[in-house]
Amino acid sequence: MKNKILISVVFLIVLGSCKKDFLNLASPTSLSTPVYFKTQADFESAINGAYAPSRGLYNGNNGAWAMGELRSDNTTYKYNPNDRGTIQAEYVKDFTDQNTNPVPQSKYVIDYTIIARANQVLAPIDAVSFDATEKNNIKGQAYFLRAFAYFDLVQYFGSVPLHLTPVTTLSGTALPLSSIADVYAQIISDAKQAATLLPNKSVQTPGRVTSGSATTLLGNVYIVLKQWANAETTLKSITGYSLMANYADVYDPAQKNNKESIFEIQFKQGTEGFASNFFYTFLVRPISGTEVTAVTGIPENSLTTEGYNIPTPDIIAAYEPGDTRLAASIGYITASGVSYPYIKKYAHTHTLTNNTDDDWPVYRYAEVLLFIAEALNEQNKTSEALTFLNQVRTRAALPNSTASSQSDVRNAIMNERRIELAFENKRWLDLVRTGTAQTVMSAYGAREKANPQAYYFPAGIAPSPSAFTNIRLLFPLPASEAALSPYF
Amino acid sequence: MKKGLPFSLANAIMKISLISAIIFSCTLCAYSTVTVGQNVYNKEISISVKEQNVRVTLDKIAKAAGVKFSYSPELIQAIRKVTLKEKNKRLSYVLDKLFSSLNIHYSYFNNYIVLNKNTIDKGNGAVLISSSEQVAKVVTGKVTDIKGGVLSGVTIVIKGTSTGVSTDNNGNYSLTIPDDNSVLVFKLLGYIPHEETINGRAVINVILQEESKKLDEVIVVAYGNTTQRANTGALESVKGRDLADIPAAQFTQKIQGKLAGVQINEINGKPGQGMQVSIRGAASLSTSSAPLYVVDGFPVVGDISNINPDEIETITVLKDAAATALYGSRAAFGVVLVTTKTAKPGQTNVTANAYVGTQNVPQKGRPDMMDGEEWAQFKKESYQDLGQPVPAAFQNPSQYGKGYDWYNAMFRSAVISDYSVSLNTNKENISSAVTLGYFRQDGVLLNSYYNRFTLRANNLFKVSKNIKIGLNIAPTYNYDNTPASDGIFYNGGGLINNALLTPPIIPIYNADGSLPISVTTPGVTTFPTPDWVRSIQDTKSKTNTYRLLNNAFVTYEPIEGLVLKSSINVDLGSSAYNYFQPSTAGRAFAAEPSQLTANLSQTNSNYYSWLSENTVSYSKQIKQHKFNLLAGYTAQKFHSTFTNVSGSDYSDDRVQTIDAALVKNNPYSDIEEWSLLSYLTRLDYNYAGKYFFEASLRRDGSSRFGANNKYGNFPAASVGWVASDESFLKDNKYISFLKIRGSYGITGNFNIGNYTQYPTVSAGQNVPFNNNTNSGSAVVGLGNNNLGWEKTGQLDIGLDISFFNNRVNFTYDFYTKKTTNLLYTLPVPQESGFSSFTGNIGAIKFWGHEFALNTNNLVGKFKWNSNFNISFSDNRVLALSNLTNQLFAYTGSAETITQVGGRIGQFYGLKQDGVYVNQADYNSSPKNVNSQVGTIKYKDVNGDGVITYADGPSGDKTILGNPFPTFIFGFTNSFSYQNFDLSIVASGSYGNKVASMSDQGTTNLDGVFNVLKDVQYRWRSASDPGAGKYGKTTASTGDERDQFSSRFVQDGSYVAIKNITLGYSLPVAKMPGVKSIRVYTSVQQAFVFTKYKGSNPEVSTDPNGNPVGSLGQGLDFTAYPVPRTFTLGLNLNLK
Repeated sequence: MKNKILISVVFLIVLGSCKKDFLNLASPTSLSTPVYFKTQADFESAINGAYAPSRGLYNGNNGAWAMGELRSDNTTYKYNPNDRGTIQAEYVKDFTDQNTNPVPQSKYVIDYTIIARANQVLAPIDAVSFDATEKNNIKGQAYFLRAFAYFDLVQYFGSVPLHLTPVTTLSGTALPLSSIADVYAQIISDAKQAATLLPNKSVQTPGRVTSGSATTLLGNVYIVLKQWANAETTLKSITGYSLMANYADVYDPAQKNNKESIFEIQFKQGTEGFASNFFYTFLVRPISGTEVTAVTGIPENSLTTEGYNIPTPDIIAAYEPGDTRLAASIGYITASGVSYPYIKKYAHTHTLTNNTDDDWPVYRYAEVLLFIAEALNEQNKTSEALTFLNQVRTRAALPNSTASSQSDVRNAIMNERRIELAFENKRWLDLVRTGTAQTVMSAYGAREKANPQAYYFPAGIAPSPSAFTNIRLLFPLPASEAALSPYF
Repeated sequence: MKKGLPFSLANAIMKISLISAIIFSCTLCAYSTVTVGQNVYNKEISISVKEQNVRVTLDKIAKAAGVKFSYSPELIQAIRKVTLKEKNKRLSYVLDKLFSSLNIHYSYFNNYIVLNKNTIDKGNGAVLISSSEQVAKVVTGKVTDIKGGVLSGVTIVIKGTSTGVSTDNNGNYSLTIPDDNSVLVFKLLGYIPHEETINGRAVINVILQEESKKLDEVIVVAYGNTTQRANTGALESVKGRDLADIPAAQFTQKIQGKLAGVQINEINGKPGQGMQVSIRGAASLSTSSAPLYVVDGFPVVGDISNINPDEIETITVLKDAAATALYGSRAAFGVVLVTTKTAKPGQTNVTANAYVGTQNVPQKGRPDMMDGEEWAQFKKESYQDLGQPVPAAFQNPSQYGKGYDWYNAMFRSAVISDYSVSLNTNKENISSAVTLGYFRQDGVLLNSYYNRFTLRANNLFKVSKNIKIGLNIAPTYNYDNTPASDGIFYNGGGLINNALLTPPIIPIYNADGSLPISVTTPGVTTFPTPDWVRSIQDTKSKTNTYRLLNNAFVTYEPIEGLVLKSSINVDLGSSAYNYFQPSTAGRAFAAEPSQLTANLSQTNSNYYSWLSENTVSYSKQIKQHKFNLLAGYTAQKFHSTFTNVSGSDYSDDRVQTIDAALVKNNPYSDIEEWSLLSYLTRLDYNYAGKYFFEASLRRDGSSRFGANNKYGNFPAASVGWVASDESFLKDNKYISFLKIRGSYGITGNFNIGNYTQYPTVSAGQNVPFNNNTNSGSAVVGLGNNNLGWEKTGQLDIGLDISFFNNRVNFTYDFYTKKTTNLLYTLPVPQESGFSSFTGNIGAIKFWGHEFALNTNNLVGKFKWNSNFNISFSDNRVLALSNLTNQLFAYTGSAETITQVGGRIGQFYGLKQDGVYVNQADYNSSPKNVNSQVGTIKYKDVNGDGVITYADGPSGDKTILGNPFPTFIFGFTNSFSYQNFDLSIVASGSYGNKVASMSDQGTTNLDGVFNVLKDVQYRWRSASDPGAGKYGKTTASTGDERDQFSSRFVQDGSYVAIKNITLGYSLPVAKMPGVKSIRVYTSVQQAFVFTKYKGSNPEVSTDPNGNPVGSLGQGLDFTAYPVPRTFTLGLNLNLK
């Protein structure tokens, strides 16, 4: 009996011998915030993570080109009657997009992802002490990215929720819409902070944003807000940049982050997942592998869906004779036996199919010059404006502009922007901020409907009857967000 | 506890595995022992006695022949001396010779040779009176059943002695008794033993009552056993042996239709896969709602599909909170207890089961696609409607005739076979049951197969009077090839769907009968079109899986009624998936097969799960009060690792390793862990076997939950009253059993990601700056310190009633459950930077009624039993998150809505309202921006004058149907006549809708695919508007195809004759060593009656062909069809 009791007691002791740690299991493959944001290295990693989504903002089927370029009169799509499976961008072009369209939704989500990651850096960083220069640099990048993303949102969607701190609770995931003015006030504040905190291009790691990037962004905001004097002062303060001698070199992956580049989205070919594919997205389709190979020189697959961002006859016609930028920007490719124009800016040698090395130019010095010209002209400093405009024209091997009146110069600057910045997602927003979107796009729609085949429609097929009948300047907030937010 | 296993447990495992190795080799030897049976008389013996008394002589014979005698020494005058010398003579010969002179009669019964004094002289009928003794008194009589049928083979034993006889073929017996006050005990298997005091009677006729088997059979429940009579929870159980005839790899498929309230759907026909089990309408917002599977007390984490059904003794389904209480923490969706075979006391036998069969895709349910001529005509008309010239290929449709049936070419007749041998022995202190199995199923789809090798050894050792050690080891190995056959055409897989959509004017084979690599035909195909028949055969998609399931336990009973039990259970699994698509195989919407497209994906995953359980139980009976107390402590841990490598661009298909890939993708890996710590206790009490009470409590802590809510308490209580034992019902002629029971309890669910409570930081958010790669990271998950248990409170009220001496048994249960704190990964506004938040959200109420009726309709020579069950279930969402009262869930382009006040997972989309037949109709109807005359017309549900596609009240989507059935039912009939048996199993469901998402491809108006014949009735012009179902081919086909609308939703009610089996048991009386032989033939999935146009109304898979959760039920994105299987089988049972 004694033994029996002993055995029973031992047994019961074994019962209760587990430690509390048994139930604390964190993922062995990822960290969590309680142990993160503790060191300089954590913040360096986190700021890199804030850049990461920006590739998706520009690359792929729902890239920024759809709302910035395709929406305008510069490019269109190649209607494919046999594959209507990837036509969401077509609706964006035709102004028949609804709030369920994935293209604006993608922009909205990516911008907010960048904002959240910037907030995640900014909120805890001051509580951790490390090298001040490095800390300022990281903070400056975070402020820039946040301002940049909100600027993208406010221009395309108008009034949006303004998240400035990391979301940690369910109820914190949705905020009321902030007014457009409040959003701009925040963008200006962030861009100014960034301009102060960030180092100059000469000392910054190439590819990261600089004080010049932030100042350009701020100048752009003033231009959009028509604060011309502020714009002039701000943009004129940008130094350390100059135009590349050869326009085509601006886009050459061998010369990334060149002296003209102020901010470009960094891509890298290979299998690490950083490759771009603009060239392929912008190809007219259907196209056989051989026809693509004729341009790329590497083994290619045939492409069968709808082709997008095909230069319109309008933009081709807009180039002045002798403009060296035409050949650098637009090439011709044979697709299913027929020759079509395609965007050549992003066509460069690469190793693997659908895997290119091209960066996306967001801000470059030529635009700063055109911004300054615009700011000056709007303040009636017309002749000074022309000096900035002509710098851009000279590089394109064009004679100086002959415009003289304020409105002629205004038109000249706008035309110059259209050509110089063609296929860089500037056109639609230019039309919007200058109040010309309604007129220009209605006229464009009329031309396209009158002669669909000139706009690459197959015989017998015309644009949708409702296309271009309702030219809207803003995109609706995505339905998927509206379904979840109690505020809109 | 340090890392991994606690020291004591680790030691235990090592010791046990050593013991097991020894024991395992011993069990195999144990079967060589001689067995005893009817053929014992044929045994040849040698004996030599000289002037020995009968008793000693009999002892010698017993030893020589390995038999036992039963006799009264007085009666047979065992002191008489005999002389006997025989060499190599049959036992019967020896006995005849010995007894003929002694006037002893012998008969064989129940492993005994029963000896009696011959009371009647065979020769002249005169009663013989022995000279020396007074003649013992003789009692005679007849034994019958309640209907007057004679019962043969009934043993009649004089109580307190081993003297006895058995009844003859006419039910008659006669027995010599020592005195008038003797008591006779009548026994027959399956009947209630009966005692009669002789009281001087010479003739005693007895009626034996059939045992109400079902009521008193032992049922395995959570941490113990019970009987149907005593149980107070809602549970049902099925015997493994009742399922042997159904040709299926998984036991879940075998119990389809057998249990009330258990919906088992065969969502696809993939070999060895495809079953979905839902108990009592179980549903969950974002987690799996599969029940918890417990094998021999071990809640298994891994797959249950690779358990050989032939290893299974019983399957018990626990439905209410009382029954599931002790697994309460994970039992919200019910518990399925699987008990594997053990050897019964005294049992030594060998059984073998085998079947072979052939499977085919039934003709009914194959998609009704256009043939060659019809499709060419469709194309021709499309060009005409566009106003374009008709290409040469379509100018003369009649040239194509029937064309080529790509769908049929993907399928074949395939063989299924299953072999299984069980060896059971239970001798002295060792009991062992070993089952070996091999299952092979070639799929009806080309290049699909499933092979499984299984072994299970269940051993129990009685180390001493009060210590027992049990050890179950079950290794399995299975390998399968599962082509990416299922799912919709656009998701990369979907080989079946893609074959279906291939233009029927394109030949499948080359003129020489070989298969081309590509059938891309300019002017006919739009996309690169590999030859699907070749692709599916050339592509390897193989999985090798190894598994070892172990249970080891020791019980110690220091004093009677007190049992301490400690067990360690280990489940180890490893699987390797190897996909290689050579340069000759293509996939949908991919480039033409080439060196570039050749690709490899290799995944290795391993897991282990261990559970340590320590319980103490004490049972005691004081007069009529019976108690049982249980308390215990358990700890479980799961760990898995996963790695994947992939690459593409192979210069040579023959080298299929990653090294040969010119493009190597980044490898990736994952490690997942969880742990669970639980305390449990239960009290059972019953008074006089009439009043039952049970209460239990389980407290669980899980690593998956936030610091603030790690632990949950799960109490349950139940009561039962056997009213039929009360005096007012005891002698009721009609009601033989009546029990009323009720229970309430709380169960839990922790099916949620392992780390969702933490705000996770994901590495790998890398960036290149100026071509230099920089590592980056980001917070990608929203943490939740309050994440805790999902809880379901369930009330169950049940009634078990049996009539006419248990010939009619009826069970009814009503239940109502309320699930609160639902674990849900809720989509959140992405303005937050996150897409989801995992929390405890909302409440859902479920309720239902279950009826089960078991009847023995005919019990004579021709027997007929039937089992009918029907269950109704429904649910209402009571609350969702504080952000929204509607949840939308998307599966491909299908959508469901779950909203407060409604049911969960309702099909949600646009309602078709015909097509815009003409300009006037177009002008006067609400439109979408993309609408045109001749396009599909949707209903303006919100009445705002325009058609929009947003979710919620701003758009025009509405509820299109309920994918969950109003009721499900099963109906099994078993017949037997002499040696023949026949059983028919039917099951069905009513009221559920199925969304035929395959129609996205098969009614695509783009003209790039083959389409359903139905599409010919589309809109072509105002004067030829068609049937109002399909719009025109010339514009805006995208919305019609991709917007989920009422056109996709069909009635999914069905009745399926799941299985018909006809068996014949061979007469084996004269076969030595054979207990029974039965041959049978069966047809599985015999007939399906349904209005659903697809092949399988039970379908429920996503666009990739994978199973879906509750918010995506009833979707058919083209799944592997369920074959009809014909088999021939054999059951052999050796003594």
